[in-house]
Amino acid sequence: MPHLSLTVNGDKHELEVPANRTLFALIREDLGLVGTKDACRQGVCGSCTVLVDGVPMRSCLALAVRCQGTHITTVEGLKADGKLSRLQQEFINAGAVQCGYCTPGMLIMATALLAENPRPTETQVREALIGNLCRCTGYVRVVRAVMAAAS
Amino acid sequence: MSLPGFDYRAPVTIEEAVALRLELGADALIMAGGLAVVVLLRERLARPAVVVSLSDIPELQAVAVNGGLRIGATATHAALARSKTARSIAPLLCEACGHVGSPAIRNMGTLGGSVCHGDGASDPAPALLALDAEAIIAGPRGERRLPLVKFFLGALTTALNGDEILVALHVPRPAAGTQFRFIKYTATSAEAFSTVTVAVSITRDGAGVCSNARIGLGSVAPTPLRARAAEDLLRGNKLTREIIAAAAAAAAACTNPSSSAQGSAEYRRDMTEVWVRRLLAEMPA
Repeated sequence: MPHLSLTVNGDKHELEVPANRTLFALIREDLGLVGTKDACRQGVCGSCTVLVDGVPMRSCLALAVRCQGTHITTVEGLKADGKLSRLQQEFINAGAVQCGYCTPGMLIMATALLAENPRPTETQVREALIGNLCRCTGYVRVVRAVMAAAS
Repeated sequence: MSLPGFDYRAPVTIEEAVALRLELGADALIMAGGLAVVVLLRERLARPAVVVSLSDIPELQAVAVNGGLRIGATATHAALARSKTARSIAPLLCEACGHVGSPAIRNMGTLGGSVCHGDGASDPAPALLALDAEAIIAGPRGERRLPLVKFFLGALTTALNGDEILVALHVPRPAAGTQFRFIKYTATSAEAFSTVTVAVSITRDGAGVCSNARIGLGSVAPTPLRARAAEDLLRGNKLTREIIAAAAAAAAACTNPSSSAQGSAEYRRDMTEVWVRRLLAEMPA
């Protein structure tokens, strides 16, 4: 079985993982980090998005063995010193969470956007989140929350 | 559903990858970004004994100018969309790559992977066809080059042999003054598969006569297409309203679309005519 060493939310892990393990299954089932969700399992919905070395990727379509030596950030890793990130707090303030299923993916995607572009326009926010589907149709407040976090 | 079992190999050089391809034959499935491969595995549409990942071969990610543009097969859509090197030769391709799926998909998906998947709904493929791109293919007998127009044989079927690997795409430097236009037209939202994708490359002389025309089409046939009949109508002519209308109709006649959530076959054919006409008409003289 392939040996994998990687860092998840700052914690180093050494694991034996079968080749057919997805990064998603590793995160949720092996590491018990259930903040990351899946729905479509074909890269369309965005709910499984995590950061791989700071870059947003679909964990449902990534083999865990390919993540050797990488730093993974999931939604659990966004808070610092036990406090929610500014973006997470703005999601609460804006009422951007309805059922919440898409929220971890939205937070990860918007975190990456703000790291690269701290002052995005509303259009840039919408373009960044285009691959994150919300079935509650809550996009207006999500965009408002990201804009507030950027202000 | 979890993935079926398979072994995993990640060669670090092209030579090693070609040797593995030859050794494993039909038992191996080659993986670049993994978007298509992991879905094929999950849906049990492919049951390889071994998945061979190309992502540990740094040479395959390189984008370089060498006369034209050489794009390593595992350069991602995101890397190409923002590559100044790629933009210096093939801005049309950069634009097309920026319209593939959504940002996270562009971070994972590769140009070579998209080409090898052979999906008729590819967005970069029409741009590559409009740019006269060639596939650079490595196999046990060395390297061969194949114009991309001969690479796409049918739905998800390419001219790549079972003992070969696509290592790069080559885009020749376009003639000075060549103009480009691209549209990914979607009836639903921008990250979905298109209703039709059109990529146009037009070269005109000082008198405005078209000396070279290429029209690549996506999502309107089992493979990415070149609308050759439309190109023939443009070549040797000025882009008058009448010539543009005739070329747009000829492009629509080249298509063989199927109906899907992105549009009925009839709508796709109609939109092919509309977008070829608009892209040609908006080119400044």
